[in-house]
Amino acid sequence: MRKIFATLSLLAVSSPQVFAAGGGDGKLPLYANKILPFITDSVISVWISVLIIVLFVRLTTKKMEMVPSGFQNFGEWVIESIYSFFEGILGEHLVKRTFWFFGGTFLLILVTNWLALIPGVGTIGLVGAGKDGGDLYFLRGGNADINMTMAMAFTFALLWFYWAITENTCKGFLCHIFAPKGQFAGIMKVGMVAIFFLVGILEVVSICIRPVALSFRLFGNIYGGEQTMGKLMGLAPDYLNWLPSLPFYFMEILVGLVQAVVFTLLCAVFLKLICEHDHHEEEGH
Amino acid sequence: MITVLGAAGLTQIIQDFGVSVPLLVAQFINFVLVIFILKKFAFGPVQAMLEQRKNRIAEGEEKLKRIEKQLAESESTSAATLEQANADAKRIIEEAKEGATVMTEQKNQEAIASAQGIIAKAHEAAKSEQEQMVAELKRDFGRLVTLTTANVTGKVLSDEDKNRINEESLSAIQN
Repeated sequence: MRKIFATLSLLAVSSPQVFAAGGGDGKLPLYANKILPFITDSVISVWISVLIIVLFVRLTTKKMEMVPSGFQNFGEWVIESIYSFFEGILGEHLVKRTFWFFGGTFLLILVTNWLALIPGVGTIGLVGAGKDGGDLYFLRGGNADINMTMAMAFTFALLWFYWAITENTCKGFLCHIFAPKGQFAGIMKVGMVAIFFLVGILEVVSICIRPVALSFRLFGNIYGGEQTMGKLMGLAPDYLNWLPSLPFYFMEILVGLVQAVVFTLLCAVFLKLICEHDHHEEEGH
Repeated sequence: MITVLGAAGLTQIIQDFGVSVPLLVAQFINFVLVIFILKKFAFGPVQAMLEQRKNRIAEGEEKLKRIEKQLAESESTSAATLEQANADAKRIIEEAKEGATVMTEQKNQEAIASAQGIIAKAHEAAKSEQEQMVAELKRDFGRLVTLTTANVTGKVLSDEDKNRINEESLSAIQN
């Protein structure tokens, strides 16, 4: 039994629970639903985010002038603000090398998070058409899909290795993880080498866990936010069910920004930590 | 045992969260696509523009500093030139004054010398004229005395007589 339980007219006044109450169970599944092979509801959301970003970029750089005005001014302000933010963390040299990644990731996460708050995303779909008889939604928050957050986190992990090795050299990279920090002599040196080797192993474990932690942190916050709003809407009767979730919409706008900042900030800090040279090392360079 | 449990747990997580390699690849492509678009069409041009503007501002500030320096140098040079010009003007005026005094003195001396020359010449001319008049007067007087003597005596006087009478009469006048 399939029926479309949402209409575009309802979208205008929308709340997710309204559509869900119309026929679905109102629960967003943990996984993204396949609409076509390789295409899920979250992939479509990400495409829309990409489209929005492309339009933003097009408007910003369409007719660039030395004295900016209108949208160019706004676009430059956005990009310059993000650049200054990451420059403060990474420093002048690293930010020049890596801004394309951090800036792009930040904008993509932010736009995807905010797009997920638009009424209809995660609420319009087909009842019972999804996996295991669940509802199939046409759109889903891009970061409410673990595949998306993992794609970003593991891409960063690969780039992290590349940047870390090119900045430190292979030997420097390994020394950074395993070598004792500070000046030691005699038996103390032997002890410290052993301790720092064990610390290095812990560091390797930490490095391996980082992309997983990054993925699940972002996914959990966004998915949790959507679930919270869905559940809150179920607390009120129809046509008033938007009311309990209204304050959380504002909070989710903030969460969308904070999560974009947290993800990219952590990535930047991880990179800074591995590329940071102490005084002793700098003298050697 | 732990490994088996861990693997089973991992499989369960992968199933529950819907982790799948094709979808991961699809999202990876999306991610790379947006990063590429932003790098190529947003961050590149905007950063180039910001850099260009920054350089231009830096150039402007550099120019301003240079202009300020040049202005200060120019002010200093013009003040020095003005001071030099004032000093030169004063010196020239002093020299002119001195020159004028010397020239005035010289001209005065020349005028005096010229006047004295004129006076001397006038004196000489007057003296010469006087002498000429005296000579004429003497000649006329001699002739008048000779003529009178000839008329009075009724004699025809020789040249010797005439000379003697003239000399005697002239000596009588001069005495």
